[in-house]
Amino acid sequence: MKDNKTLTQKIKELEEKIDWFYSDDFELEEATINYKTAIALAKELQEDLNNLQNEIEILKEDFSK
Amino acid sequence: MDSFTPTEFIAVVNQTLDYAYSSVTVVGEVASFKVNQGKWVFFDIKDEESSISCFMTLYQLRIPIEDGMKVMVKGVPKITKWGKFSFTVQAVQPVGEGSLKKVYEILKKKLADEGLFDPAKKRPIPKGLSKIGVISSTAAAGYADFIKIFNARWGGTKIQVAHTQVQGIDAPDQIIRALKYFNERGEVEAIAIIRGGGSADDLACFNDEALVRAVASSKIPVISGIGHEVDESLVDLAADVRASTPSNAAELLTFDRKTTASSVNDMVNRAGQNLVYKISNIKKEQRDKMLQVSNIINLKISGYRKELSDKIKILGALDPEKVLERGYAILRGEISVGNVVKITTISKEIKAEVKEINERQ
Repeated sequence: MKDNKTLTQKIKELEEKIDWFYSDDFELEEATINYKTAIALAKELQEDLNNLQNEIEILKEDFSK
Repeated sequence: MDSFTPTEFIAVVNQTLDYAYSSVTVVGEVASFKVNQGKWVFFDIKDEESSISCFMTLYQLRIPIEDGMKVMVKGVPKITKWGKFSFTVQAVQPVGEGSLKKVYEILKKKLADEGLFDPAKKRPIPKGLSKIGVISSTAAAGYADFIKIFNARWGGTKIQVAHTQVQGIDAPDQIIRALKYFNERGEVEAIAIIRGGGSADDLACFNDEALVRAVASSKIPVISGIGHEVDESLVDLAADVRASTPSNAAELLTFDRKTTASSVNDMVNRAGQNLVYKISNIKKEQRDKMLQVSNIINLKISGYRKELSDKIKILGALDPEKVLERGYAILRGEISVGNVVKITTISKEIKAEVKEINERQ
């Protein structure tokens, strides 16, 4: 990952960016910049989805005692 | 030859027993079951030929047992100070279909009456969590299935695995300790209890009363993925979410990478289309406004034109030449008898003398 955000957090961020295009806050002047940001985030997400692995830690604690 | 006092001999025998059988599991049928003073439990465990006197505290008895029930008891053998053999039981588990079913039904009713399975208490477990706890045996096939499906579907999740037994008489306490471990630390967002398929005896530990209570009281939401679809344990009923299998638990905890990737593409494409639509809308709005302005200007111009034309007509009507054309004449000069005045017609200039002046009637 390029930052500490999880896949879910990034997806939420992308959804918020996309929602902006459908909201009353939409401004044509900002649209191009926001669209480029959304495209970049989507690309990053695609990379994460292809490459990201889970981190599995077997605890050392002995639960038999 | 060594000689002992009775106390010494009992101590030696107990030491030997402890060395040889520090913990023993015995399977047999319950007989003469009774509870004394609401605290102490006594029963015999027997087969066709032999019988063992068992003792335990009521606190340790986590399943409802009765005479005739086949059970597995885990405990420590010892000789009492009166020289009698006793088996101090640490845990009891039902064995065989009949006993398992009976214990299951009794406990299910008891715990349901207490509200442990109340659907209103169930908490949803969202997919794609950043940190989860898994309680399972890392050697078990069910655990391998869970991890395989989880990894195939999703990434970026930190999975802490508490390795415990998932069958047998010791499993409930180990799973309870693991639940306590995760709850005390509070680092994971959900706990998955995972165990693959097995016989009713194998899965019996998931009907342990203390374990079911620990699941129901967990501060962290619990998902159970135990056995197959047809296997229903009391832990399943107490969990916030019940998955039908370990693989299903992995599915319920994750999004699918491919579906998500496709959804991400769709989102961005839709936003792009929306942007194009909005731009074309804005263009159309501008065109419409220009057209509106142009129409207003044209309307104003034609108004001015009409006004001008009317004025020209009025002017035309006032033109003296037009009056002369209609046969009138212009008379200039002083109107008095004997005076010469100038008369202009459309085609003539006439000088004339005033002969007589009369007032009009």
